[in-house]
Amino acid sequence: MVNQIIPTKFGSQLSIHLPLMRTALSIYPISEKAVTIAFGDRISEELMHRINNFDKLIREHPFEGLRTTIPAYDTLSVFFDPLQVLKSNLPGKTCLQKVSNYLGQLNETETTTIQSEPQLITIPVCYGGTPGPDLADVAALNKLTTEEVINIHSSVTYLVHMIGFVPGFAYLGGMPETIAAPRKATPRAVIPAGSVGIAGMQTGVYPLQTPGGWQLIGQTPVKLFDPTRAVPALLKASDRVQFKRIGMDEFCHLQKATDADTGN
Amino acid sequence: MAVPVSGVMDAYSARIANYAVGNSGEDAVIEFTYGGPGLEAETDILIAYAGGGACIEIDKRTLPPGKPLFIPAGSIMNLINKPGGCRTYLAVAGGWDVSDVLDSKSTCLVAGFGGFKGRALQPQDVLSAPGNLSALAEKILNSLKGAVVNCPKWQIPGLVTSSSEHKVIRVIRGHESGWFDERSVSRFFAEPYRLSLKSNRMGYHLEGPAMSRMNKQELLSTAVTSGTIQVTGNGGLVLLMADCQTTGGYPRIAQVAAVDMPLCGQLQPGDELYFNEISWNEAERLYIEQEKHLQQLSATIENKYL
Repeated sequence: MVNQIIPTKFGSQLSIHLPLMRTALSIYPISEKAVTIAFGDRISEELMHRINNFDKLIREHPFEGLRTTIPAYDTLSVFFDPLQVLKSNLPGKTCLQKVSNYLGQLNETETTTIQSEPQLITIPVCYGGTPGPDLADVAALNKLTTEEVINIHSSVTYLVHMIGFVPGFAYLGGMPETIAAPRKATPRAVIPAGSVGIAGMQTGVYPLQTPGGWQLIGQTPVKLFDPTRAVPALLKASDRVQFKRIGMDEFCHLQKATDADTGN
Repeated sequence: MAVPVSGVMDAYSARIANYAVGNSGEDAVIEFTYGGPGLEAETDILIAYAGGGACIEIDKRTLPPGKPLFIPAGSIMNLINKPGGCRTYLAVAGGWDVSDVLDSKSTCLVAGFGGFKGRALQPQDVLSAPGNLSALAEKILNSLKGAVVNCPKWQIPGLVTSSSEHKVIRVIRGHESGWFDERSVSRFFAEPYRLSLKSNRMGYHLEGPAMSRMNKQELLSTAVTSGTIQVTGNGGLVLLMADCQTTGGYPRIAQVAAVDMPLCGQLQPGDELYFNEISWNEAERLYIEQEKHLQQLSATIENKYL
């Protein structure tokens, strides 16, 4: 393990480099209660799996004071209680040293035993009409028919890279460039929960009613986030997602069933 | 899951209010932003409050903050605006009775769950305490209960907030601070920033010298936390607060030291700030010192009722 001390005007600004699967990565503090492990600088499926494996490893072997972890595109952040960390027997003087040493040690000596089958989640979507007011615009922008946009959007298997932005929001990778569309010049004040949208090269589903500037091409009756469920967020990093087209009748029927379940 | 941390904006004041009624520092409190509301005690209650922006009055008499207050049934308490700060925390012996959602009693406003029905309080809402007081809370109650409003002589001092025109916030240089030119960074540490009206529990927009980039790199979304100061597309600054998103893609110029987050929780639009740089080691030291101080306050109260 190599510690690199970078001298600055205010004493050492510690940046700790540790071997992780034979590729150097850096750990840097983002607050007194959290560090971020940097794995790279791009969006890739391989990186996503490495990050998720290390995340599982940490959760399998928690250190005293660990609170939670947040995986992202190319980083994994680890949150902890500094008082507990300082009281523990972890080697190192400061919290940053103790946590970094532990993470480095974990990486060198352990591999995760948690096997997870990547889940394929099918999300039913009612495209166009009232649920998808921007479908025609997206089609026109790309010189396609609305049917072609729907077929392209629902023929791909997307990869969930990370969850962020609002509770339950999944960043999906894999949308074909052929249906890309810029965000709306004027965002809407209200976007209904379950709206399926396109913004630039990204597609995603709004789990909650919020304002937003995405181009809305449809809506799903499925609840992507429900705090009362045992696992509140439907999607997690490494899941695969497919969109399945449904008609308005089925959409209304499923919507009623979901509302009845949640007492809306 | 991307659920924001949420919770109190000024943890120091919230804990003082809790300690004053013999609660644990983490018991649920009500956060009031400025004065205005009136509360009627339907039963005898033991409360305490701390923070800024408001004080509590009964029959036009101001009740002191930072100490337990026995309030007899039928009393009407009014929160009255008071200059200095903006968030007041009201604690009740035993903690306010709200269910845990995702292991927390806090309100998640963006998703509408947690706390009291997942929303801000409204007229006619009824709040209660579960009634199982800590041993210390029982002793405090027994020493004060009776027919009239009553409180002890002792008082926990509030957060020391500078009453001067500007406030100094200690920060640590952010991970992407190298993305900005020298001049921008120097100005960030030398010149004042003002909280704009576009400020709320998710974050504060700061008006002041814009930051200029040295590179055109995009930051891939990564975890952020309250206290993070981001630089947005046009060079403007945002200081993330309690309800902020869990991830963000704007470069980070600085991180507010945890020790100064309670002070930030009391900032109002128009307030002027200066940022002072400290190291991570110093930030950790100050945080631990403040924690020890708060634990000491709690122990001191315990000792008064042995």
